[in-house]
Amino acid sequence: MATLPLWPRPGSRVDFDRNHMTDDSARRVALADLIAAVQRGSEPALKRLYELESRRLYGIALRITRRPEIAAEVLQDAFVQIWRSAASFSRQRGEVAAWLTGITRYRALDAARKLGREVLSDDPALGDRLLEPDAIARIEGRAEAGALRRCLELLDQNQRRCILLAFVEGLTHSEIAARLPAPLGSVKSWVRRGLLTLRSCLEQ
Amino acid sequence: MIPGDRDELHALAGEYVLGLVDAEQRQEIEAARGTNAALDQAIAFWEERLHPLSALAPPAEPPPGTWERIALRLRGAGATSRAAGKVVRWRWATAAAGALAAGLALYIAVAPRPPMPRLVAVLHAPQQDQPAWVATTAAARLHLQAVAGQTPPADRAFELWVIPPGATAPQPLGVVPTDGRLELAAVPAGIGAGATLAISLEPPGGSPTGQPTGPVVFVGTLVQAD
Repeated sequence: MATLPLWPRPGSRVDFDRNHMTDDSARRVALADLIAAVQRGSEPALKRLYELESRRLYGIALRITRRPEIAAEVLQDAFVQIWRSAASFSRQRGEVAAWLTGITRYRALDAARKLGREVLSDDPALGDRLLEPDAIARIEGRAEAGALRRCLELLDQNQRRCILLAFVEGLTHSEIAARLPAPLGSVKSWVRRGLLTLRSCLEQ
Repeated sequence: MIPGDRDELHALAGEYVLGLVDAEQRQEIEAARGTNAALDQAIAFWEERLHPLSALAPPAEPPPGTWERIALRLRGAGATSRAAGKVVRWRWATAAAGALAAGLALYIAVAPRPPMPRLVAVLHAPQQDQPAWVATTAAARLHLQAVAGQTPPADRAFELWVIPPGATAPQPLGVVPTDGRLELAAVPAGIGAGATLAISLEPPGGSPTGQPTGPVVFVGTLVQAD
């Protein structure tokens, strides 16, 4: 099937005020419209996208970098990248929110790796809430979240903790090993086995 | 090496999305993205499916002034105005070349002065301002030329498309030869001021469907050159 991800549609317009809706699917449509406008080079659309998504994305960057000034730089870089690479986003590829999260997370992970682990691990409570048995109960909302929660429950506790600490806190294998604590080799194999179990569950 | 085995590939893609691959693996993965469809799909799968986990990071208010800094950086990039400046300079260069050719023509008294280009488009990567290709039309011919050597990824070719003003479906114009020059003897009817030219990545020999099947990597608008 031929797909054309990014043709600018001359003359089409986006109503930027249509995003008051709290309803999740309306929000998705709003984000998709905004990205389409950003693809055509609309700066007001990017600003609206910032108003809608910056708190969420900054929160993600802050968990991973742990430093407000670094997280703010990550957020700036992420929005400049969103502006430049909006054209490469295609709706076939998935949800806008997941795409925005990806851009922010990769940048935050880069920043965290540059900072080095002594800064990352200076918080003794690092990842505590993720180690609680009911951590995944807080994954709320949509159908995808329900499927993910159900599938995460199939993992053993160590596998689940590794995946949560990596995704949410941005920890490396060795940082996870230090945090749990557990041998590095075990952490690596928990991650892999956890991912493979998750995949076969999520694909059903 | 990017594994061919499905389980291995999915585990690697999952580790990449989690941020657990080392710098070397990461470079390799990023180099293969866009050309390895199985890898792209595996990464998209994990980005999409793990996305609900990001709700475990509590939202927080960014420091004041963050948007203003972003807006400044966008303007610093000055995409539109700079690209327009390039067109103007390019036109002067063309005019100079045209004048030189005219002088030669008088001197050897053979060829008439070549006609000035009627339409010109500077194509650049979407949202970037670096000119990558220049397209011109003159005397019902269209000429496309890479500004600096542009090479498609292995086993892909650049294909040129036009979207006439107001149309939504692109029309194929042809596959760009590997030397980065494409010359069309007859300009299709859709080509006029305001038409969008775009270059997509396609299988060698061009899109099998008559519509772009790969990502659009360069885009530009035809404007009157004189």
